[in-house]
Amino acid sequence: MALFAVFQTTFLLALLPLRTYESEVLSEPLPLTPESLKVSVNSTRQCLHLQWTVHSLAYHQELKMVFQIQISRFKTSNVIWVENYRTTVKRNRVLHWSWESKLPLECAAHFIRMRSMVDDARIPKPGFWSNWSSWEEADAQNSLGRDPLFVFPKDKLVEEGSNVTICYVSRIHQDNISCYLEGVQIYGEQLDRSVSAFELKNVSFIRKKGTNVFCKVDQGGALGGIVLFVSMLEEPKDFSCETQDLKTLTCTWDPGSDTGLSKQPSQSYTLFESFSGKKTLCKHRNWCNWQVAQDSQETYNFTLVAENYLRKRSVSILFNLTQRVHPMTPYKLFPKNVGATNATMTWKVHSIGNNSTLLCQLELLAEGKVIQQHNVSIKVNGEYLLSELEPDTEYVARVRCAYTNHFWKWSELISQKFNTAEAAPSEAPDVWRNMKMVSGHPTVSLFWKPLSKVHANGKILFYNVIVENLDKPSRLEVLSIPAPARSTELTLSQCSYQIHVTAHNNVGPSPASVIVISGGPGNEEVESGRVNGTEDGFSVSWKPQSGDATGYVVEWCDGPQDLPCVLQWKNLGPNTTSTVISSGAFRPGVRYNFRIYEISAKRMAHLLETKAGYLEELAPSDNPQVVMSNLTSHSFTLSWKDYSTESQPGFIQGYHVYLKTKAGEHCPPAFEKTVLPEDSVCCRHTIDNPEQKTFVVENLQPESIYEFFVTPYTSVGEGPLDAFTKITTPDEYSHILIRIILPMIFCVLIVMIICYLKRQWLKEKCYPDIPDPYKSSVLSLIKSKENPHLTIMNVNDCVPDAIEVINKPEGSKIQFLGTRKSLTETEFTKPAYIYLLPTEKNYSGPGPCICFENFTYNQAASDFASCGHFPVTPQAPPHQLGPLTSPENLLKALEQNYMNSLGEIPAGEANLNYVSQLASPTSGDKDSLPTNPPEPALCSEYKMQMAIPLGLASAPPSENSSLSSTTLLGQGEHYC
Amino acid sequence: MRAQRMRRTPLSVILGLLFLSMAATSKCLGKYHELLLQLRRQADHMQDTSTLLDPYIRIQGLDTPGLKERCRECPRAFPSEDALRGLSRQGFLRTLNATLGLVLHRLTALYQDLPEAQQLVGLNIRGFRSNIHCMSLLLRSSSEAETPEPTQPGPGPTPPPTPPSDAFQHKLKSCRFLRGYHCFMHSVGQVLREWGESRSRSRSRRHSPRRAPGDTAPSGPCRGGARRMWPFRRDRRLMPRGHLPR
Repeated sequence: MALFAVFQTTFLLALLPLRTYESEVLSEPLPLTPESLKVSVNSTRQCLHLQWTVHSLAYHQELKMVFQIQISRFKTSNVIWVENYRTTVKRNRVLHWSWESKLPLECAAHFIRMRSMVDDARIPKPGFWSNWSSWEEADAQNSLGRDPLFVFPKDKLVEEGSNVTICYVSRIHQDNISCYLEGVQIYGEQLDRSVSAFELKNVSFIRKKGTNVFCKVDQGGALGGIVLFVSMLEEPKDFSCETQDLKTLTCTWDPGSDTGLSKQPSQSYTLFESFSGKKTLCKHRNWCNWQVAQDSQETYNFTLVAENYLRKRSVSILFNLTQRVHPMTPYKLFPKNVGATNATMTWKVHSIGNNSTLLCQLELLAEGKVIQQHNVSIKVNGEYLLSELEPDTEYVARVRCAYTNHFWKWSELISQKFNTAEAAPSEAPDVWRNMKMVSGHPTVSLFWKPLSKVHANGKILFYNVIVENLDKPSRLEVLSIPAPARSTELTLSQCSYQIHVTAHNNVGPSPASVIVISGGPGNEEVESGRVNGTEDGFSVSWKPQSGDATGYVVEWCDGPQDLPCVLQWKNLGPNTTSTVISSGAFRPGVRYNFRIYEISAKRMAHLLETKAGYLEELAPSDNPQVVMSNLTSHSFTLSWKDYSTESQPGFIQGYHVYLKTKAGEHCPPAFEKTVLPEDSVCCRHTIDNPEQKTFVVENLQPESIYEFFVTPYTSVGEGPLDAFTKITTPDEYSHILIRIILPMIFCVLIVMIICYLKRQWLKEKCYPDIPDPYKSSVLSLIKSKENPHLTIMNVNDCVPDAIEVINKPEGSKIQFLGTRKSLTETEFTKPAYIYLLPTEKNYSGPGPCICFENFTYNQAASDFASCGHFPVTPQAPPHQLGPLTSPENLLKALEQNYMNSLGEIPAGEANLNYVSQLASPTSGDKDSLPTNPPEPALCSEYKMQMAIPLGLASAPPSENSSLSSTTLLGQGEHYC
Repeated sequence: MRAQRMRRTPLSVILGLLFLSMAATSKCLGKYHELLLQLRRQADHMQDTSTLLDPYIRIQGLDTPGLKERCRECPRAFPSEDALRGLSRQGFLRTLNATLGLVLHRLTALYQDLPEAQQLVGLNIRGFRSNIHCMSLLLRSSSEAETPEPTQPGPGPTPPPTPPSDAFQHKLKSCRFLRGYHCFMHSVGQVLREWGESRSRSRSRRHSPRRAPGDTAPSGPCRGGARRMWPFRRDRRLMPRGHLPR
């Protein structure tokens, strides 16, 4: 305790001199307390702004002081910030201090107080703090409206990548408030009963119209939100400066993307040069001009500063002015003195400073490619002679220049087109010929290829063809053929000719191309061969024939054979024996024929060989039309002679003959079984000779069905599978039968024709209409009976008379012969008569004659209704009529009854009206029985009749006579 | 959506230029039905949200859940369909003309937000107003003519000072305003659709409240909400407000 008292006394004694010094410096007593503290809120920048004064200072007195500031949130005891602010204080000077709050100030009340302390070196004693000022409250919530929900900070501009704290203030004190960043819910910290804060980290730029953050009471309640404007400022890239004239520097850069927020203008760019200390605000986003100082400043250090509301970014470059010279583009580039093979180019450049030299590069381009390049050093005017040019060719000349002292960049290019002049064609046209005979005269078609541009040296106007007869001197024939013709035709005589062809342009003719045409026939029979095609074309080779060949020509047609020939040829040197013929016109499956000619020393062409080939062989596209012939029971012949092997898409190697049998089991000999693409089995025979176009299919079965099909094949395959043709083999004996039957039919026909032609004769001989009684067999029969009473009645003895035969209508049933129909159905109402009338009028004979039928000869009298009204004895039963319907029965009856006595039949029983007969009953011939039907009753024709004995003609009913229905004559009752 | 907008753009330009040209030459269609048909078509086109509202929502980033719904609310700033139907024809035309004038003014403020669409819609509105003018002249010369009145809205009351709204509120208000504009044009189209029939039926000075049978008007951008707005009585003359809420 004593020690402490001693120490205190010592300290006070030591402090006394210091107090004396202070009184000399400061007129006011210490400590100095801050006064008039005012706090304001800047919502835009989210800052608390403090201002205060220190009144205790003496007039003109300046003192360094430190102010300790405390900031509390929500309540004074919740101190969130303490900071010491050092500054120089003057009397009555208002001091300012700002503090930026991370939490939006609207979301919480803030309390601020401060105290001070002298911190001046002139006061050696250690300072001490003044008393705290009273708490000042800054509450931005007082200015809010009456909305239930607020979100802060409003419309804040932040930099991309920074962290932002947002908060909401709820007046409804509900817990169901959700906040969203661009529709995605975010979660934060509740600071107070009605305040929550959310920290958004590393915010990114989304759109120019800002990032939407909003909070809302769930289920469609109140809504509050803010828009965050995220700014983005990129560092300028590719910053560089250069000059074209050493007077102005142009600096360029890539500004990158601009957020273009409506909240802030676009970033600004400032160019600052450190050596001169000058700076300029650039008017453009990506370039800026800088005037070079006249004080011969060579080195420049530029800094480009990009700036927006939130930050600055800068890039710098250091360079020497003369090393950044980029000359301006040359101008007035023109060709001068343009010839066929050379031209002079002239141009100008902008001067750079005094006596500066530029290196210019002159390039010559043809068809887009650089073919010449020349470097020329000039000051202002440039000139260069271009040589080795092609006549009549378009060229492009272009020039660019660079600063010679220090190469930095080439200038921009300037280009100029020009054409060289024409020259005479430098090469003879390539000529070939094709010879043919037209109307007995050799006709030569001359072809030539157009000269290439390199050799034409200008536009070809026409071709001259000069024809010279080598066999006899004559006048040269000159033909001028205008371009672009490529051929002509000449009709010559049987002589040798030499033909000169020249191409002409504006300047002159080309060298002549000479060809000799022989008057004699060419060598047409030459060796033929095949040539294989490859991807590169046809590799054609040949054997030299004579040693004095000056060259060879291979000739072919580009198109298929069925199209007009587009003659092509290729000239080859004398030592060449092979070549590859390639053409874009070659197509697979097309046969190409190549003819190789040897050109002699006399320029005459002789055919050496011919070759044929395919670029690529294909399978046949169609099958031959096959004709089938000689069909027998065991074989048939197939032929397809019209099939052309030349026009096929490949070399035909042979043919396949397919045969399908009905059984499908056994193949004929020379056939083998094979399976078709559709999996059917058939027989196949291979013909390996393409020229064999017939085939006999043998060993077939008679009366069998076969199907055949013929297709060619190449090395690639066979033709398409077409439909089979069906045939049936005939019977084995049918041909024999045909050989017999046909002649027989023929003979029969001949006989029938003869019979037809001689029918009258035959009739007279075989069955005359009026039988000759003398030739009748009845007569011989009678004679054999030796009946002397029987004789033949002579017609001349016959006296014509009329007789009448009456059929009594007794209502009895009668039947017609043949039909056997009962007459009850056709009952007679009138008596039927047979009239025998005088025939004077018609009869030319010696006397009248009665004509009536002798029904003994009638076989079918009842068939005629008009003549069938014959009365029948009622006693005759119908069944007895039948036997007489046939001649045989009748003859039998005749033979039987004829032997009986005629008197056996009583006349009265016949119950008939007798008819007269022209002949005696003894006459007649059973062999000449008439077969003709009876004439109708009205017939007046005279017919020879034969008298039959009554007994023969009429049988008693009891005897079942078959003649009961026949009217017969009684003995001795003739009316002649 | 983009293709559809691309197809509509030339049509809008052509229509706008056509109507502007008509307005400039002061040539009006003398036929009532043709003019009415043209007005209907214009109203149908202007109610299409793809011309204005949809691009605005997309550009402002309001096409997210929680915000999109807020854009569907039709503001009460525009006359409802019932209110329009209750007006006389001349009154309807005057109201229409005045409202569209205010819309045009408001759209000018939205130029920064929708530069292309704003231009096209501005052309359409000007063309539509030109046809309104022609229709007004036509009606005036007909038997149902009323006392000539200016087609432009009066100066109206001075808008009250409103606190500066933040960007978020501005987005939502503009969105609702555009929605209201399309709703309003839909209502206009409905009323115009009834004109043709009511004129042919009778020469009544009032509109028929009945909907035309078989009305084939396109479905409107809002349903029901707009009808409750501005509930003017049938005989009450509707005067333009002179301003629209911002």
